[in-house]
Amino acid sequence: MRVLAAAAALLPAAAPGIANALDFDFTAARVEASLTADDNVTRAGGSDALRDTILGVRASKGLTLPVSQRTRAIVQGFVGGEKFHKYDGLSHNFFGAQADFQFRSSGEFGAATYSVFARTQAEYFKSDLRDGYRHAYGVTVLKPLTDRVTFLGALQQNLSDGRSEVFDNHNTALRGNFDWSLNNWNTVYASAEYRKGNFVSTNCRNCDVNKTLGLVNTAVPHIIQDDAFTDTIRDAYRIDANVIIATLGYNHAFGSGQSLDVSWRYATSSLAQPAVAPATKSDFAYTLNQFSLAYLVRF
Amino acid sequence: MRPFGVLDDPRRRILIQALAAGFFSSAGTAAAQLFGRSPGALPAGQSIYRVSGNVTVNSQSATLKTLIKPGDTVETAPNGEIIFAVAQEAYLLRGGSRMVIEQPPERSGLVNALRLVTGKVLSVFGKGRPTRILTATSTIGIRGTGVYAETDPEQTYFCTCYGVAEVTSNTDPTSKDTVVSTHHDRPLYILAKGKEGGRIRRAPFINHTDQELMLIESLVGRTPPFVFPMQDYNAPRREYP
Repeated sequence: MRVLAAAAALLPAAAPGIANALDFDFTAARVEASLTADDNVTRAGGSDALRDTILGVRASKGLTLPVSQRTRAIVQGFVGGEKFHKYDGLSHNFFGAQADFQFRSSGEFGAATYSVFARTQAEYFKSDLRDGYRHAYGVTVLKPLTDRVTFLGALQQNLSDGRSEVFDNHNTALRGNFDWSLNNWNTVYASAEYRKGNFVSTNCRNCDVNKTLGLVNTAVPHIIQDDAFTDTIRDAYRIDANVIIATLGYNHAFGSGQSLDVSWRYATSSLAQPAVAPATKSDFAYTLNQFSLAYLVRF
Repeated sequence: MRPFGVLDDPRRRILIQALAAGFFSSAGTAAAQLFGRSPGALPAGQSIYRVSGNVTVNSQSATLKTLIKPGDTVETAPNGEIIFAVAQEAYLLRGGSRMVIEQPPERSGLVNALRLVTGKVLSVFGKGRPTRILTATSTIGIRGTGVYAETDPEQTYFCTCYGVAEVTSNTDPTSKDTVVSTHHDRPLYILAKGKEGGRIRRAPFINHTDQELMLIESLVGRTPPFVFPMQDYNAPRREYP
């Protein structure tokens, strides 16, 4: 009762805020189509690294709710899919939603925008074991450093909940990104990210029995035969690792609301748990290169 | 023994020679051109914040040291752009534009008068400073406002980014409109031809950004009334996975 009375007393005070909150604007819809060449879709080292090309599409639409003069909420829904050319078991569709709550102290050019966000999405693969949910939450800061350079920093927690517990992962990511505007239409961007936590690596079971023995000894009991690959028997291992990711990209805008984006992403991983004999840490190390071309439209 | 003042380390010698040649100040200028700088109120005696490509003021090539004052004509080649301030007003003049900052007639009640002969300009004006903007097809009266205009002989695009603007067609005085805007609420086209009373039409939001408005307001020590910039005219960017 006391809670209800307090709520009733607070209601008149909160009413303007609620009214403001209901005064929302839809954000423009966005559609992105991409083609990516990935030289390590298995996230494995040596001959276990498999190449593929991926066609992707993603669409999103959201709304902005002003909460106060300096705060606002943004809610968006998204849907999309990725089609792998060779390893179709990795092809998947997804849909989800993201909510951001943002604070900006003023309309001053250099004022930073602080944001907390949460995102959740459901994923349905051509194979079964990876089906499930992915969630992320974290904080970001967006700060124009100069009239040409903008910095974005993000600290986030990523969680995934697959059908197999091998694909139940969590990791923490710290990222910094710089956008460098050459002019109104051309932007170069570079980012660096450090991720620490669980990752899945898929390796051939019978190609190198000694390596397989080491992988099993190290990752046990988080091992399962990976159903996304049908060329030979491959096992997915969940391990603790540190991953460093660097991205270099270029975005060219065409008039209003359209752009072409070219990017190169490089990642390198190292084992963050003891390797059990006969495995060595190098058996779990991998690098990856992704070259991506994307066309984006907002309308 | 080496005489006092003689440098024995060749690296120190090179460093001192570079300092004497102003290497680092020119490197700093080059870095500012390349990576930009944090905008702020322009110091007294400086009008231009940034100039790129071919830009002239009264037919003389513009540099960062060029002063711009009422009565001057600023012109940009297609590859040119200039960002500058005059008194409490600040402007971003895009390529292929010609603009005259006129001396308002005495007893007109105007503080500023601006004639955009052709091209595109983003402007912000001080509060309580009545201003008239003349374009190829329209006359616009404003006060303490941020506006964006594009004009050619056929039509003018005019966005009242915030504030109040009274828009009248030059060729048809019955075509007029008053726009009260908080954030790019009602951009307009003002046509040179068309039926009487119907030469002003709604237009989409095009070719200018809130980041540009924040930048030019900062040159005259102000901030725009909005806090969060709209992203509607920025290039769409990929979501980070």
